[in-house]
Amino acid sequence: MITIDQLCFSYNGKPPFLLKDINLEIKSGDYISIIGENGCGKTTLMKILLGFLKPTAGSIRMDKNAIGYVPQRNDAALAGFPITVEEMMDSYRRLLKIKDKSIIGDSLKLVGMEGHKKFLVGNLSGGQTQKIWIARAIMGAPSLLILDEPSTGVDTDSQKEIYGFLRAMNLQQKITIIAVEHNLEAVFSNSNKIFHIQNGKGHLCTPQKYAEEYLHVKERNRYHATV
Amino acid sequence: MLQYSFMQNAIVVSFLIGILCPCIGMFIVVRRYSMMGDTLSHASLAGIAIALLWGQNPVAGAFIFTSICGAFIEFLRNYFKKHTDLILSVTLSLSIGIAITIISSGKLKTNAESYMFGSVLTVTRTDMLTILVLGIISVLVIMKLYHQLIYISYDEETAKVAKVKVRLINYIFSVLVASAVAASIRIVGVLVLSSMITLPVATAMQLEKGFKFTLVASVIFSIIDIMTGLFLSYYIDVAPGGFTAIVSVIMLLLVIAVRNLGKIVKYKQKAV
Repeated sequence: MITIDQLCFSYNGKPPFLLKDINLEIKSGDYISIIGENGCGKTTLMKILLGFLKPTAGSIRMDKNAIGYVPQRNDAALAGFPITVEEMMDSYRRLLKIKDKSIIGDSLKLVGMEGHKKFLVGNLSGGQTQKIWIARAIMGAPSLLILDEPSTGVDTDSQKEIYGFLRAMNLQQKITIIAVEHNLEAVFSNSNKIFHIQNGKGHLCTPQKYAEEYLHVKERNRYHATV
Repeated sequence: MLQYSFMQNAIVVSFLIGILCPCIGMFIVVRRYSMMGDTLSHASLAGIAIALLWGQNPVAGAFIFTSICGAFIEFLRNYFKKHTDLILSVTLSLSIGIAITIISSGKLKTNAESYMFGSVLTVTRTDMLTILVLGIISVLVIMKLYHQLIYISYDEETAKVAKVKVRLINYIFSVLVASAVAASIRIVGVLVLSSMITLPVATAMQLEKGFKFTLVASVIFSIIDIMTGLFLSYYIDVAPGGFTAIVSVIMLLLVIAVRNLGKIVKYKQKAV
């Protein structure tokens, strides 16, 4: 589905590179979590995949598929934005040129938010906002879903629900998922592959392999049930 | 009062400004670009000064120069991503510099003061038609780009994923701001023009409703503000621009007071 070949990136186009010689193959149906320290280039790689940034060197080959995107929430920037859930969903439906209005209700129903159509988005909790953004992202029936830290600012119960939806979409509808993550518990419970970025280099492995290589015994035991 | 043709022109133009300014202002306020409205309205003074110097239509001059400044701001935004406020300072300094230089040179045959404070006497039939065409085209463009503009304002990255041409629409939006500014200069004046763009929207946002409701409410508040400002300023013989700004602020405070009063009453009813 996606092949990244010898990708290098720096914001000024010159060395030192934030991302160096990245090679990655993402197959249809994968659930890949991109992890690494703050500032290692996780979000940058995601922005390159979305086409917001161009690689300094190397290439990306991508099948032409519909992409759903769930950005990282920025409550401060969106506070007070006068828009209802229904308006936000309807505008997006029009951008995607989907004629069937019932898709709004159907998508919201999938994430259990059909009763919140008339609510202002700014008045929703972090978890509720994340759910409606997932509903929005799946409106265009994407085959690839890209999420930027989906559990940031979300309470534990909502996190469970959100990852439940994502897992179901991945397993039942075969939607490929790429998630930039800092939540290791979610990484181990959901993804079948981990792309670990360290010092600009990327390393693809299974959750089991990652746990063996990078986690201390205590942490490994903590995630043991899910690995 | 209504028998005077200048007043008839002023009423038609004011009504149009009342619709156009909040339609543009809505997207400026939700994007937190209020200072952009202020910068462009002040920048229009340079366009007026240049047009008057060359003996051209000042409304057209303001529109062209403000459009260039809007596009300039948009262009520089990509280079000064971390200091976007600097771009506004640069644009403001340049345009005010040009305006003061031309006005202070004494080469203008017309008094530029009326453009700073607004005046109903200056609205000619030609101005009215120019503003009418400018306003109608702008409102139609907003209607066409409504959903794209909402998404660029709400979530620019998701808009890009949905293949919205964000950069192009931002340039078009700069021209729309310029047209609102050019349309409003005659009545409202350069100095308080941004109040017409932002204050009715700020008032409508106090109602805490959805986007469409807020937009319609801001148009209603805007028409009330500008018409009240226009008629009262005529009777007390002051510049309509300044008086409309005062009316707009009073309206905002009134809505805040009523809203808070409603909250207190609701709270007390619940307590009982």
